[in-house]
Amino acid sequence: MSNIDAVKTRSSLAGLGTFGKYLVLGIAAFLTIGPVVWTLITALNPQDPVTHVTTTGFEAFVDVFEKIPVWLYVWNTALVTVLVAAGQMISAAMAGYVFARFDFRGKNALFAVILATMMVPMQVTIVPVFMLIRGMGLADTLLALIIPALPTAFGTFLMRQYFMGLPVELGEAAEIDGAGPWKTFFSIYLPLSAPGLAIVGILAFNYHWNEFFRPLIMTISEQNFTLPLGLVSLQGKLGSGSVSTVLAGVIISMIPALLVFVFGQKPLREGLTAGAGK
Amino acid sequence: MADITRRAMLATLGLGAIGTVVSWPRLTAQDIPGRGKSALTIALFGTEQDAQQRQGLIDGFQRKHPDIPVRIVAIQGQDWSEYFAKILTMIAAGTPPDVVTVATEGTQLFASRMAHPLDDFVQRDAAEMQEYFDDVHPSLIESFLYKGSLFQLPDNFNAANVFYNTSALQRAGLERPNDNWTVDDFFNVARKMKSSGQGSFLPYFWNNRLWGGVVPWLYVNKTSFLTEEKAPGGDWFWKKFYPNETPRGGGYLWENADALNDAAVESFSVLQRLVSEGLAANPAQGGGNELVALFSTGAVGMTPAGGYWVQGLKEAGVANDAYDVTYFPAMNGQRHQFGAGGYAIMDVSERKDEAWEWLKYCVSLEGMSIAHNKPDSSLPRKSLNDKLYGAGVGPAHWNVFYDTLIKFPTTGPMPAPPQQAAVESALLKNVVNTIMNGPGGVRPGLELMQRDLELALKGR
Amino acid sequence: MMSTTTSPRKKNRALVWVFLAPTVIGLGLFSVVPIIGSVVLAFFRWDIITAPQFIGFDNFVQMGANPTIRVSFFNTLTFVVAAVIVQLAVALGLAILVQSRMPDWLRTFFRSALFFPLILSAASVSLIMAYLFNYEFGLINQFLTLIGVGKVGWLTTGFGAKVVVLIVYVWQNFGFTFLMFIGGIAGIPKEVYEASSIDGVVGWSQFRHITIPLISPTMLVASVMAIINALQIFDQPWVLTRGGPGDDTRTAVMVIYESAFRQLDFGGASAVGIVLTLVIMVVTGIQFQLSKRYVFYG
Repeated sequence: MSNIDAVKTRSSLAGLGTFGKYLVLGIAAFLTIGPVVWTLITALNPQDPVTHVTTTGFEAFVDVFEKIPVWLYVWNTALVTVLVAAGQMISAAMAGYVFARFDFRGKNALFAVILATMMVPMQVTIVPVFMLIRGMGLADTLLALIIPALPTAFGTFLMRQYFMGLPVELGEAAEIDGAGPWKTFFSIYLPLSAPGLAIVGILAFNYHWNEFFRPLIMTISEQNFTLPLGLVSLQGKLGSGSVSTVLAGVIISMIPALLVFVFGQKPLREGLTAGAGK
Repeated sequence: MADITRRAMLATLGLGAIGTVVSWPRLTAQDIPGRGKSALTIALFGTEQDAQQRQGLIDGFQRKHPDIPVRIVAIQGQDWSEYFAKILTMIAAGTPPDVVTVATEGTQLFASRMAHPLDDFVQRDAAEMQEYFDDVHPSLIESFLYKGSLFQLPDNFNAANVFYNTSALQRAGLERPNDNWTVDDFFNVARKMKSSGQGSFLPYFWNNRLWGGVVPWLYVNKTSFLTEEKAPGGDWFWKKFYPNETPRGGGYLWENADALNDAAVESFSVLQRLVSEGLAANPAQGGGNELVALFSTGAVGMTPAGGYWVQGLKEAGVANDAYDVTYFPAMNGQRHQFGAGGYAIMDVSERKDEAWEWLKYCVSLEGMSIAHNKPDSSLPRKSLNDKLYGAGVGPAHWNVFYDTLIKFPTTGPMPAPPQQAAVESALLKNVVNTIMNGPGGVRPGLELMQRDLELALKGR
Repeated sequence: MMSTTTSPRKKNRALVWVFLAPTVIGLGLFSVVPIIGSVVLAFFRWDIITAPQFIGFDNFVQMGANPTIRVSFFNTLTFVVAAVIVQLAVALGLAILVQSRMPDWLRTFFRSALFFPLILSAASVSLIMAYLFNYEFGLINQFLTLIGVGKVGWLTTGFGAKVVVLIVYVWQNFGFTFLMFIGGIAGIPKEVYEASSIDGVVGWSQFRHITIPLISPTMLVASVMAIINALQIFDQPWVLTRGGPGDDTRTAVMVIYESAFRQLDFGGASAVGIVLTLVIMVVTGIQFQLSKRYVFYG
């Protein structure tokens, strides 16, 4: 423990306090990771926990690949997720910047309307959205999942907060040097907003990778399914699939989100640290 | 620094644009073979695997009708309501299927809103159809009549029977029960199984669902949770195709809630006693995926199931003699429950004649034996059912599957009015409270059920 | 705000409209228009297949008379209160512990572990949890039997099911609030703590008088997000209990889904949706009003 520069006011109970702290954090970490580790063990375990039937450990995973076209679904989900995340980063950066830095008539009202769209449950609007998509000739395509998800109210809000946290003086200095508003944005503020954009991107990725409801309603052909829908088909008609196979599917679908999480954690944390609370 | 970032940014955007262009066929689904081409579209409830298994059926059909292109769309769902919602979505998307598979749960919903009556077709091709009807039990057909018209031809069915673990029965020192065993006998068997079993062994495991849930226990007590009447009409059909039968009317009508009648209370009390004595599981909603596992390892003594389960148990590696099947026990009667499935023609279809050819092919001797080459559902054609299960793939008393119809002529479909989804949730959501709160909890639970059923039936 | 004196206004205006266009057009088309659509729909009877039929306020009247819908709103509101309190408390407590003195690698480990559930889908989490909480064969009941407590009817009793839905929901969602609090706490200058420690303000009193006021803006955003999300809870009870036993875990969004996609009553579903949206807006409005009194903007 790095107690070398501990503040002097600490009592002799500090040791116990430290122990208590690690105990609480340890239990919390066990509770958050435990169920997933259990899932992995169950999926890999040659002995089924419910039935005690013995199989080779990887059978459940092989089964997943036999039952659903995993690669196609991964590709579909990746296309949707990456395009939505990219689109949200672009649209949120631009709109958030405007709301943070410019004044125009009706700004507050417009921002309030944008925030208000977050408060309407998706289940309420899905049918009208479906009708619009049909009108655009996009019914039962992946674009039907992508296009409506490109604008983001929450991302706009986050980026506004983020840009508000960056010093105004930077832009003013640039403009004194003769930079126009576009240049100010692209060469001064946009590079500085990378951590904020990372949050928007990672949250979008995470949300849409796991998204279930919209794909369920919007896609019809199984070739257009995303991974979460594939997981449901592992459960089989009327839930007759094997437990291990379903859990193996859960593990497989988790991997890409896990990778993004591992590599995206640092910018995400930094972004939230820099942008929160301003 | 900013320049590098900008260059990286532009490069990323460029890559993204190229990537989007390259994957455009996937994004717009243009790469799906046959998309946009006109074909007889058949929607079925199941996964893509189920669709692939139908390939043999398509091939057979196209040998007879090479001019009719066929496309099968598999539609997934947790239950039938989700399937219906998806069909609606297809209609809303402007790509309605021509033919849909519909089970008893949805027969009246489809018949009342989306399906086209088969009356004219059946009469036109009466000579051809007579051979089919001669082979199929009238109870199955009756369940597909709605307000005097025929909407589907049965392609599969499953009667709710009791599957039991033969070694659990032997361990309890019991013989196979008589066909006309009673609920008291059932309790006796369950108790003996329990006392001779070990650990978390459960004599009776069941799921809270419309098929094989509480309904069999209501039917064997000559009651239900909805009133049951027969619609007028249908004579045209019965007189023509089943001349030796008394005409059965124009199909079932389930119009009023009836959860509070004395017999229903009695049936629910039986379930309450089974659960509180620890003889039956607390019914889980859904949860079908653990059942095969539990039963195949001997953790469960008896469970409701039908012919479809033979294939499931076979895949789980259960030997034919490790289990057997019998009827639900008698109370005031011994009426049983079944669910059936078949194809219906959509009202919006512009290919009704071709659709009818598909229906006819699927119920023909050839079509039905291609479609059901595995014991994954009882077959409405008795000849084919005997061939399928008589081949030694199932339990010793496989005759029970079809005899549920023959020996118990009152056996009927699960109650499924056009408001089926609402009715089903009104029933299922009140089952647990009704049977889990002691003997005194049964009536209050049923009062809530009655209230919810009344609301559900009032819905449009 | 932008100093408008140094740059020509016209240039700014072009940028404002170009930058706003994707978001405004997108949200307008795919959120505002559908919202208006569903408001209109709420006055109709419509099942998608047959033509819509105008019925005035009938959907709202039916809704008021339906005990299931009333219960679902009551469930949703009690759930929100419980879930938001637990979620904020757990997230804040763990964030403070994680941000206290410890080796960096350990801090990274705890942060990752605690944030982890957020990356899973609600559907798979609920699936895993349904197995864990299963009455007969679930790991949790096996453990409870082992330590002599016996089997608990987690998903089969009303109270148990509510508790499980709450646990699973908070388990999955506290990570984001947790990260926001980490950000908030990390944003507090070290000097503030050091100065207060020298003045003898430590422990609880430091938490109460230094930490809480300084992260109150984060707390506002976190609680607004938590409440908006909790009011829309659907996935967890849908997979775990389907709203049962009885209506004990039925939520408002579940009623919307069931009316629309199971009972084909799209007008009725819209009516419920509008009422729920109004509830969310009122609650959020109240929160922002209250925040004027309690949030400390350093």
